[in-house]
Amino acid sequence: MFRSKSFGSVPSTLIKVSALSLLDAVAIFFAVLLAWEGSWLLVGLIAGGLFGLNILAFSRRLYPFRYLAPGLFFMILMVVLPLVYTVYISFTNYATGNILSKDQVIGLLTTRYYLPPDAPTFTFRAFGEGGTLYALYLWGPAGEYVLFPDGRLDAPSLHRLEDLDGDGRPDLVDGKPALSTPELTRFVSTLQNLAVPFGEGVLRLSTLSTFRLYAPQYRYDPATDTLVDLRTGKVYRAQGGNFVAPDGEKLDPGWVTFVGFANYLRFLRDPLYHRAFVRVFGWTVIWAILTVTLSFALGLGLAILLNDRHLRLRKFYRSLLIVPYAIPAFISILIWRGFFNVEVGLFNQVLTQYFGVRVPWLTDPFWARFACILTNVWLTYPYMMLVSLGALQSIPEEMYEAAKVDGATGWQRFSRITFPLLLISVAPLLIGSFAFTFNNFTLIWLLTRGEPVVEIGSRAGATDILLSYAYKLSFQGGRGAEYNMTAALAVVIFIIVALISGISFTRTKALEEVSRGL
Amino acid sequence: MAFRRRSPRFWLGRLVRNLLAWVAIAFALFPAAFVLGTSFDPAQNLRTARIIPAQPTTANYLYLFRERQEINFPRWLLNTVYVAGITSAFGVFLCALGAYAFSRFRFRGRRTGLLTILLVQMFPQTVGMVAIYLILQTLGRQIPWLGLNTHPGLILVYLGGAIGFNTWFMKGYFDTIPRSLEESALVDGATPFQAFWRIVLPVARPILAVVFVIQFISVYSEYLLASLILKGSDKYTLAVGLQLFIGEAYNRRWGSFAAAAVMGAAMILIIFYALQSQIISGLTGGAVKE
Repeated sequence: MFRSKSFGSVPSTLIKVSALSLLDAVAIFFAVLLAWEGSWLLVGLIAGGLFGLNILAFSRRLYPFRYLAPGLFFMILMVVLPLVYTVYISFTNYATGNILSKDQVIGLLTTRYYLPPDAPTFTFRAFGEGGTLYALYLWGPAGEYVLFPDGRLDAPSLHRLEDLDGDGRPDLVDGKPALSTPELTRFVSTLQNLAVPFGEGVLRLSTLSTFRLYAPQYRYDPATDTLVDLRTGKVYRAQGGNFVAPDGEKLDPGWVTFVGFANYLRFLRDPLYHRAFVRVFGWTVIWAILTVTLSFALGLGLAILLNDRHLRLRKFYRSLLIVPYAIPAFISILIWRGFFNVEVGLFNQVLTQYFGVRVPWLTDPFWARFACILTNVWLTYPYMMLVSLGALQSIPEEMYEAAKVDGATGWQRFSRITFPLLLISVAPLLIGSFAFTFNNFTLIWLLTRGEPVVEIGSRAGATDILLSYAYKLSFQGGRGAEYNMTAALAVVIFIIVALISGISFTRTKALEEVSRGL
Repeated sequence: MAFRRRSPRFWLGRLVRNLLAWVAIAFALFPAAFVLGTSFDPAQNLRTARIIPAQPTTANYLYLFRERQEINFPRWLLNTVYVAGITSAFGVFLCALGAYAFSRFRFRGRRTGLLTILLVQMFPQTVGMVAIYLILQTLGRQIPWLGLNTHPGLILVYLGGAIGFNTWFMKGYFDTIPRSLEESALVDGATPFQAFWRIVLPVARPILAVVFVIQFISVYSEYLLASLILKGSDKYTLAVGLQLFIGEAYNRRWGSFAAAAVMGAAMILIIFYALQSQIISGLTGGAVKE
């Protein structure tokens, strides 16, 4: 039904073409900038996007994709690409200490210098006037030079040197007088920053009157892919992202390289990571199952209560009962965190006053977990209640009447009719809730931050779920970022979510719709 | 209704049911009630704050609006509304475009596209946090206003996450709009885009509003990605700022925190209750419909 209309008149085509070429020009400009930096991933993305855009603009057959492209663009950039990138990182050693490329690391190490015991020394005299430093005059066994504060090193013959007192050293350089030591101290930081290339090494300030020649510490040999420490003679071999000596000593920094399944295997073999993973995984499953079950039980109970047509105020009750659902979760969670506070919290105030007990909420593993579940049940039961209410109302009245005629009791009616029917329609949502709770970072992080600590040295606390543990591995202040481990854990979560979704996917209406071609 | 004689058991049942309802309501409301009450209590320690203050004041509220560098509540609120507003507005437009194509055009790859979107959407965006962080870092080196610690960067991330589900959701609604509406326009020489813009969108206004509001609320409450991306106090959204504001300071800042919580929740509460039925059917949708 939509045919020729997608192609407009001559002027509109002209406008389209010129706008498109402008966009192309800008995008290509950015792509070149990114290529310069070596961000090939983004370059590829821009190139692909641009290519697609230009085809879209002129292809008749792809007309519908003009509507889809904008949304797809964002989805690909911020959902699909991160997914792919995460998988990629999980197979590398990308972490603090292994962020750079190998070339960058070699460049960095081969420009490290050290001071050999027999390093040549240059004595110097500084010249300048009016509070400025003009140049230094250096002399020593390795020759005489004029050094400028910007690092330029000249032969003395290029400048006008005047020796007034006849001691063999100049007293004026290009007409500038010598600076006294107190005057010179103002320029110490400038001089300290100087590293003047000289032969193989660099000249650096040593004392307030001398420079010394520092020698390069490492030499890289591309043929054998080794790095030699010129000071000790030790040979470092490129191995798994670092230069490693035969005695096992590693040089920092390292570079990014593929490590295969090493990150995954660490969760299985490295005792610290393995214990953390098992602990966290176990709690994540228990947490998700308990929360969803309890919340559903409470929600269903309230739904049955409210579904009674004789209850006059049920509309009013309903709107009050969904208050926890209407308050932004991060606010409620922070409030609950206050209630659970051991010292000043509401719960301990009441418990101490009436029962004389003080519960170590949030500091004891059991009670911290209890607090997480209680808070999340409070947050989510309204959803369960609303869903159950809807499901209850869709159960045909005749079924109950038939059951009544057959003499079924109230409990029988519930367990044989209501509950099974309800479960059929609600099951996909329960699975969805399970998946959501499984990854409910906000609740865990704002309520307990995964704490309390249960094992010294491990980042995983008693209430950490997989996602919060993954977060801690990369973004916990004060400790290095293990991006590779976070990514590996993320892939594990992806797989679990895929399994969960796979179960519910086969049951959703959406799938039926697609297969029917609606 | 005529009064009918009921057995005492019936009345006992009534009583128990109402009683149970009120117990549940007390459980539902006590945190909110406590925070609302103590927000008017000048006491800053949670231990001494009372739900019915002895000397109620609005000092806590005024405190939040004083000019400050590190604790800048009005700024956080504005940032949140800005980020959530832009994300939702753009998101609604992009999703409507996509949903229109899926609903009205028949083309190769349509089924695959619908399925793929559904599949991709099942993976929570937050799990890719490291990748998102590094992508924004790289972007920011070339385009500083789109990098880490920028609102456009955060909006970009949220937009990506908002597309899938909402496109599906809107497609379902568009399917229910009769095609005859547009067909007459097309016969009169309108382009498909004109038909979409002038006819379908206005008819679909209710669903656009629902998607906008649901999106707004979810961005408003998002914590993980915001805390990862926003590093400066002047950039924080409410979720990030409030969390850092209260920290462990329940014995020093409770009063002002309570006031901030009340104000932070008020807007969302009002929106939620004003559009209650639409939002609820949107959020719990798919379960019991049809």
